[in-house]
Amino acid sequence: MTPRFAFVVHALSPAHRRVMGLRWATMRLALGMDEGVSPWKMGRICDLGLPGIADGVILGITLDPEQMLADQERAVLRMERVVRLALEEGPLAAVGLGSLCAVVGGRGEALAERLPVPVTTGGAATAWALAVNTLRVVEALGTAGPVAVVGASSPVGRAVAAYLADAGLGVRVDGKRAGKGLAVEVCEGPEEAVAGAPVVVGAGPTGGVLAPEALAPGAVLVDVALPATLTGPPPPGVQVLAGEAIALPPNWARGGWGHAYHLFAGYGPTQVFACVIEPLVLAATGRGAPYALGRKLELSAVRDFGRAAEALGFVPRLAEGWRGIEPSRVAQPRPASGLRGLVSARLQRR
Amino acid sequence: MSATAGRLTHDTLDQADPKIWAKVQDAFAGALGLENDEVSLEKTIIGDLGAESLDFLDLAYRLERAFDIKIPRGGIESAARADMGEETYEVNGVLTDKAIERLAAAMPEIPPGELTEGLRVSEVAEHFRVATFYNLVVHLLAEKEAAKA
Repeated sequence: MTPRFAFVVHALSPAHRRVMGLRWATMRLALGMDEGVSPWKMGRICDLGLPGIADGVILGITLDPEQMLADQERAVLRMERVVRLALEEGPLAAVGLGSLCAVVGGRGEALAERLPVPVTTGGAATAWALAVNTLRVVEALGTAGPVAVVGASSPVGRAVAAYLADAGLGVRVDGKRAGKGLAVEVCEGPEEAVAGAPVVVGAGPTGGVLAPEALAPGAVLVDVALPATLTGPPPPGVQVLAGEAIALPPNWARGGWGHAYHLFAGYGPTQVFACVIEPLVLAATGRGAPYALGRKLELSAVRDFGRAAEALGFVPRLAEGWRGIEPSRVAQPRPASGLRGLVSARLQRR
Repeated sequence: MSATAGRLTHDTLDQADPKIWAKVQDAFAGALGLENDEVSLEKTIIGDLGAESLDFLDLAYRLERAFDIKIPRGGIESAARADMGEETYEVNGVLTDKAIERLAAAMPEIPPGELTEGLRVSEVAEHFRVATFYNLVVHLLAEKEAAKA
C-alpha cells in the first residue's frame, strides 16, 4: 500500500479565504463570514504526490494569517481537525505544515502532541534547498568571499549556516545566538554581516530586516524570507533569487485542482516550495521521526532529508518567481527590461 | 497595564515568585532554544537573548499554555496606549513625552531613564526584558482571579 501524507495550509488572505469558500460552495465563507463554517467542509483542497511512492493530500484551514496570530490555539485546533478528517479516509505516515501553520503552536509541537502521526515543519527541506542553491551560486560566481546568512538565529538559518560552514565556506552570521557552537564569524547585525559579501542568504522566516543599500554591488541574495529580506527593491546589479524552489520530477502527479493549487499557492506550474515535499519524503522513507519540529533542526536531519529527496528525483533550483534560473546565468545576469523587468521586480518584492 | 501586586520593578527583580518564574523561564528557554540558566529577569529579549519576531509568537503561546491565560497581541504597548485616552501617543513614529512616561510606568522593570525622548514606536520592543513578560503574566493572572471573584 502506498504511504499517504498530508500537508496543511491556511488561507493567505481574507480574499483567499473567500475563494476557498467558493471552491467548496460554502457561501458563508465566500461572503466573508467565518464563524459557523465547519472546518470539515474545507478540509481537502487537492491531491498530489508521486504515484506508487507517496500519495499526498493538501488540507486547508480557513483562517488567514491575522486570525492565526490572534488565536494560536484556535489555529492548532483547526489543523488537528482537518488532519483527523484525513485520517478517517486511511492512515497517514506524515503531516507537513505550510507557511504559518509551521509557526503557530510552538512551531508544530502542539499539533504533534495531539496527533498519532509524525508532524514535520518543512524546515529541513527549506534548509537543504537553500544551502544547495547557495552553493551553486558560490560555484557559479567562483567567489572566495564570505557568505552572509541573515536570519541565522532561526532554525533554518542556523542549519544553513552549519551546512555552508561544513562545506568549507567562510560564513558570517547576524548575531551571537546564531553563531553559538558553529565555526562561523559572528557579526553584530545583518548590515555588518552582509558588508562586502558577494553572496547573501536570506534565511529568516520573516523579512524586511535589511536595507537594500547595505548589500555589496553585484551581490546575489538567495532568499526564503516572506516577506522578502530586503526592505525595498534591490539596487541595480544586485540579484535576488528564490532559494526554496524544487523542480518537479516527471512522475509528479496532480489533478485539475492540483494544477490550480500550484498556481494559487505561488509555486508556479513546474516547481514547488521545498516544505511541501518534506512530509512526502518522510512518508516514502518510513522514517518515524520528523526531520524538523519546534526549534529542533539538526544538520544531520537536513543531510538525511537531502539524500532521500534526491533519491526520489527532487532537485533544488534557483528561481525568479516561477522561472528556474541556471546557475551560469547568475554569473552573467541579463538586464531585465520591459514587461519582464517589471514582473521580475514585482516578484522580487513579494 | 495598571499596577498589580506582585509585579517586579527594576529594583525588585530578585523578588520573583519562584513558581511563576520557573514557568516563565521554561517558556523562554523553550521558545529561544536556550538553557534555563541563560534566561534571567534583567536580560533584554532581543539584544541579550537574540529573539526574533516569530520567537515572540512562540513565547506567547508557551506562556498562554503554561498559565492558562490569553496574551493580547501588542499587549504591553496597547495597554499604555489605551491609558492615554485622546492624548497623542506618537507623531511620525516617534513617541511623545507623555507616551514615554506611560510606557515607563507600564514597564517598571526597565531601568529608570532608559526610555528617553526620541524613542521610536518600532524600537520599544528592544527594551523588553524577560521581567516584562513575567510582569505581564502576573497582571493577567490577577485579571483572571478578579474575573472569577
